[in-house]
Amino acid sequence: MAEPSNYGRGEEEDEDDEAVDDAGYKTVKDAVLIAIDVSKTMLTSPPPSDSKKADSDTPTAAALKCAYSLMQQRIISHPHDMMGILLFGTEKSRFQDEDENSRGMSYPHCYLLTDLDVPAAADVKRLRNLVQDEEESKDLLKASEEEVSMANVLFCANQIFTTKAPNFSSRRLFLVTDNDNPHANDKALRSAAAVRAKDLYDLGVIIELFPISSPDHAFDRSIFYDDIVYSATPADPDAPAPITKPAKTSAGGDGISLLQSLLSNIASRSAPRRALFSNIPFEIGPGLRISIKGFIILKRQEPKRSTYVYTDGEKTQLATGTSTLMAEDTARTVDKVEVRKAYKFGGETISFTTEEMAKIKNFGDPVLRIIGFKPLSMLPSWASTRPSTFIYPSEEEVIGSPRVFSALQQKLLKDQKMGVAWYIPRKNATPVLAAIIPGREKLDEEGAQVVPPGLWMHPLPFADDIRQPPETSLVVTPDSLVDVMRVIIQQLQLPKAVYDPKRYPNPALQWFYRILQALALEEDLPEKPEDKTIPRYRQIDKRAGEYVLEWGQELDQQFRAWQKHNAGTTSASGATKRTAGSKGETVKRPKTENGAAPATTSDLPDDAEMRMLFERNQIGKMTVAKLKAFAQAKGISLKGGPPKKDFIVDQVTGWFENKMNID
Amino acid sequence: MASKEATVYIVDVGSSMGKRNHGRETTDLEWAMEYIWDKITSTVALDRKTAHVGVVGLRTDGTENELDSEEPYQNITVFQPLGQVLMPDLRRLRQQIQPSNTDAGDALVIAIQMISAHCKKLQYIRKIILVTNANAPMDAEDLDNIASKIKEDNIELIILGVDFDDADYGFKEEDKDSVKADNEVAFRKLADESNGTCATLAEAIDQLGIPRLKTTRPVHSFKGFLTLGDPEQYDTAMAIDVERYPKTSVARPPAASNFVIRSDIAPGESTQSASTLQDGGADQSNQDGLAAVKNARTYQVQDENAPGGKRDVEVDELAKGYEYGSTAVYISESDRNVTTYETKMGLDIVGFVAKQEYERYMDMSKTNVIVAQRTNDKASMALSSFIHALYELESYAVARLVPKDDKQPLMLLLAPSIEPDFECLYDVELPFAEDVRDYRFPPLDRVETVSGKVLKQHRNLPNDALKDAMSEYVDKMDLSAFGEDDEGKPTEYMPMEDTYSPVLHRVSQVIRHRAVYPNTGIPPVNEILTKYSHPPQDLVREAKPTLDKILAAADIKKVPPKVRSRKFRRDVPKPLSGLDVGALLDTKGKRKRISSENAIPEFKQLLYGTEDVSVEAVHDACDQLDAIIRGYIKHSVGDSGYGRAIEAIRVMREELLDLEEWATYNDFLKKLKQDILSGDLGGERKEMWWQIRTARLGPIQQKEVKASDVGEDEAKAFMSAK
Repeated sequence: MAEPSNYGRGEEEDEDDEAVDDAGYKTVKDAVLIAIDVSKTMLTSPPPSDSKKADSDTPTAAALKCAYSLMQQRIISHPHDMMGILLFGTEKSRFQDEDENSRGMSYPHCYLLTDLDVPAAADVKRLRNLVQDEEESKDLLKASEEEVSMANVLFCANQIFTTKAPNFSSRRLFLVTDNDNPHANDKALRSAAAVRAKDLYDLGVIIELFPISSPDHAFDRSIFYDDIVYSATPADPDAPAPITKPAKTSAGGDGISLLQSLLSNIASRSAPRRALFSNIPFEIGPGLRISIKGFIILKRQEPKRSTYVYTDGEKTQLATGTSTLMAEDTARTVDKVEVRKAYKFGGETISFTTEEMAKIKNFGDPVLRIIGFKPLSMLPSWASTRPSTFIYPSEEEVIGSPRVFSALQQKLLKDQKMGVAWYIPRKNATPVLAAIIPGREKLDEEGAQVVPPGLWMHPLPFADDIRQPPETSLVVTPDSLVDVMRVIIQQLQLPKAVYDPKRYPNPALQWFYRILQALALEEDLPEKPEDKTIPRYRQIDKRAGEYVLEWGQELDQQFRAWQKHNAGTTSASGATKRTAGSKGETVKRPKTENGAAPATTSDLPDDAEMRMLFERNQIGKMTVAKLKAFAQAKGISLKGGPPKKDFIVDQVTGWFENKMNID
Repeated sequence: MASKEATVYIVDVGSSMGKRNHGRETTDLEWAMEYIWDKITSTVALDRKTAHVGVVGLRTDGTENELDSEEPYQNITVFQPLGQVLMPDLRRLRQQIQPSNTDAGDALVIAIQMISAHCKKLQYIRKIILVTNANAPMDAEDLDNIASKIKEDNIELIILGVDFDDADYGFKEEDKDSVKADNEVAFRKLADESNGTCATLAEAIDQLGIPRLKTTRPVHSFKGFLTLGDPEQYDTAMAIDVERYPKTSVARPPAASNFVIRSDIAPGESTQSASTLQDGGADQSNQDGLAAVKNARTYQVQDENAPGGKRDVEVDELAKGYEYGSTAVYISESDRNVTTYETKMGLDIVGFVAKQEYERYMDMSKTNVIVAQRTNDKASMALSSFIHALYELESYAVARLVPKDDKQPLMLLLAPSIEPDFECLYDVELPFAEDVRDYRFPPLDRVETVSGKVLKQHRNLPNDALKDAMSEYVDKMDLSAFGEDDEGKPTEYMPMEDTYSPVLHRVSQVIRHRAVYPNTGIPPVNEILTKYSHPPQDLVREAKPTLDKILAAADIKKVPPKVRSRKFRRDVPKPLSGLDVGALLDTKGKRKRISSENAIPEFKQLLYGTEDVSVEAVHDACDQLDAIIRGYIKHSVGDSGYGRAIEAIRVMREELLDLEEWATYNDFLKKLKQDILSGDLGGERKEMWWQIRTARLGPIQQKEVKASDVGEDEAKAFMSAK
């Protein structure tokens, strides 16, 4: 827990960049405790409905499913963050194996299902059983006759955070309930709850409310929960509202299931907002500096790296590694302050003192400074090196920053312009040039924010980072060919003509964690799941197939014409040509079943030819190069075998045999 | 593989080169060497065995060359035969290259001889660079022969003259010596006839500041088919042979390694002169008194029976596995590939999107260029039709790339690019669902209040005056036509091709500088590297009135550090309803004692509770918390209570800092440290002190509260003392 967090620094691959993170007071980790109400109404199933999408889950069950899904997600995305689940209003009570001496009280009708911790495989398993197995849940999910004291629930949460995550910088209590009026007739209990809520606030725990409305009762926060929940900017009636919209109501046959709306609500709060940097000056012009914060919204999520585990003990456990610096000549341990940086040069080393190194790398104080503005169209499509950083104004250093920032963002949006900026993220960090791109707020159908409004800091390549293209020869297309291709493209637009990342989960990452989960829970290995990144071949065939064939024919024709025209001259590429057509008109390409030549540009033996060879058992007559090309085009795996012709022939033959069976 | 190079530098070290001319602080030779050292060290930095350098001294006192028995080749010394130059060579050259006492000699023939003997008929880039002040009479008759020999051997000749006249560069030496004038004419003629260059040294030195770009030979990152549809299942699928090459890739500065001063050499002892040439890496630490530092890793596992609960294990005892939450998952060697997601190599089009709708901040990666298979004209035509169609429709393609079988799939955006002789698709990676974090922020063009109102006017929103001023400013600071091209026509200012990586060239500059001048300080940064760190002056001047308008309309204020102090902030936090929870507490009987269970909230409430917190009340609260913190530490099993203690100390420090009660905190910490280290808090608690250190909970210093009597060094010493 004591090791300084690396969060936000992963971005910089520069290992030399040893910036000191002064904000390292508290470990930047997140602990979430989900408290789920288990009252009678929460355990009531929705009325039966004809709609397929309608809910069958009780609100409590939906909340538990949510928690289960959140737990699995967080293991992937935030492997070191804690999570716990507390049920309240249950007939049963259970708390951490408490030391009765230190605490006289216990928490009646509070059931700590999963104690706050980094989830273990067993926690996932127990939760899954509860969600999937009704028998299992029946016993536990029983509402108490007596009303649970909210003050007690909140203090219970307080103790869980205090003992399990004492110095986590982000601690949040997710409260899921449909009861907007607990202790309706008991002012003292309500006051006690308000006091316990204040304790949580002073402890640094944020309460996030996930209210559930039913068709005949809209959840009213003002009755009770406005005394419990705190806003970031108190005592300002005109302050911007917290982003959680009032309850996503449901529990009727209205199409959107409670589970879905809860999931989306919780997902949007699942990651605590962590700033990559805080309050570096944003210099829009000399003398005009406002303060901003930077956030990492886009980041490639990678499968975890493997670690060392120890398997000889009673149970498999992780080995923790520590490294020490050692001098190579005497093998003595070296203190960090003794280390000098040196560069290899001309067979020796050139060294600098620490002060000199600091001077060399110093290009000024941290700043994001606008150099000027350009139209967005001047940003070529190849000008990218790594993901952009989202920036948003803050008033912590400069009062009035939001209005200036807003004026700039609106102007850039309106005129489709960008800023160009000199950017030094931290002291002694490497300077970068960046485009400052305006981002428009985007909402989904239900009005929930999908992309926040702000500016994006898009790093630009330096001249040193731009590679020269390879030498090519170009055969410019005739217009007739473009005409057909245009139709193809028009047939295959993605929905709304945009790329929506939400539609494309990373198949390799998902697979990795599914396998890991199966191994961890000692389950059977799963089937290969649906891969949403694979193109919809059937659709493509249906919508564009005939045009592709047309294009293929046109290509053959146009290419032959081009060859005739260029006959005798050296080929445009100046190299030996190996396309089928280049051998002249002699190769007569058999037509496919549809009566058209396949639309491919390589020197492949075509299907009919191969099939003929296969039928005569003469696949071996084909050259290795052609067989390989054929195998690649058809997706025939040549791995695992010897790189011999016999093997390739076997594979190809096998493929035909399979295909025959299917056909 | 880059080509082999052989470059011979001819340095005029004649006695006249030792003079200072035209008000320069350096001698002509020192000035010339600025150029030569820069060139040579650039070659050394390449660290390539096939980049060969030779150095010949012209008009040296002695004579040492292959033809030294012959009369015309006297006073020529080969300082460095052609070969890879290493640090010891640099040191030797630095001593050898000194002004001589003579002004006679002619070395071109020697240089040509060196190159032809060294390179034979092999593929080399051959170059001769001659730097001279051309002061001595020269035999011009032979020059024709030399020129034809240079051409015949395909050698590039560069002659750089000290104070040569150059009309293009705009330099003319007044009162030029007639011998030098004749020589200049002869050199120019020689350069012309051998297709070489003759220029004035000042120009060459000027250009040293412009960073040189390293070219990298394109290496493909994918070769295969760009497909639309599945050729395996459908006859209607399209397949074009394509190749993919990197377009952008961040060039990194040379990496520094870690070293320590060798323990067997006293610090300050000079080792520079006592060096011998070491070949390769076996023991590189000798020359410079540094020993390499390596990272030794040790592993531990939990073991209840071991002292401290942890036991060292050897790497051999460990197996590979993964973490799933807090559970360790072991995967046996044979099962390793089950985590691999099986994929088939290919570049497969998923669909098309509108260029207008694509947001540039979605770019996730470096970019690549996709061209048709390079020897395939049919593919070139086919891809061209695809590129043109995309271009005409203002569309981009989205494709799924698997660079090799079983590599994880990537989603790519393919954008068309058409130039007269070059057409391609540029690709950049797109995010997957997991790569986008769902952060929400309030809108910037309206304010939605807690009470549900939507405001268009608010202190967080710009008024019309601010909007207008900002709009004017953005237009005035437009760079799209602020630059000037070679013909003086307006063009884009700060195009990417003119921006050089500051850190890359800076590090390379200082390394090369130190290699030649080991005893001087760090040279200043080349201006060109920081040219784009500020907006252009002219533009700033023009836009100044508009900027003033923004400043007037924006009315921004820097938050004075004081405001953050609690003493000035009387608003006690309230829930959304505005309920005064403090009042509830008051009616219930105010808490006076802090409990161990709920220490932090109760401590804070004591400090916030009333309008005026007396110093006594603060001290009392701190004393209570102090006792609780000690309790946490004392009763901690292992380090189980440390987290709570750290958090309580942090809160105490934060509050006392706000109240500027620095002495209270510092006294508390001093006593706590004593008790922790003397073992008075339940035995061995050094780990606790270490955690306080790493959590940066040291004494409150002068830089935080002016009145504090603890300085930075003192704080450091206090924290590190054992």
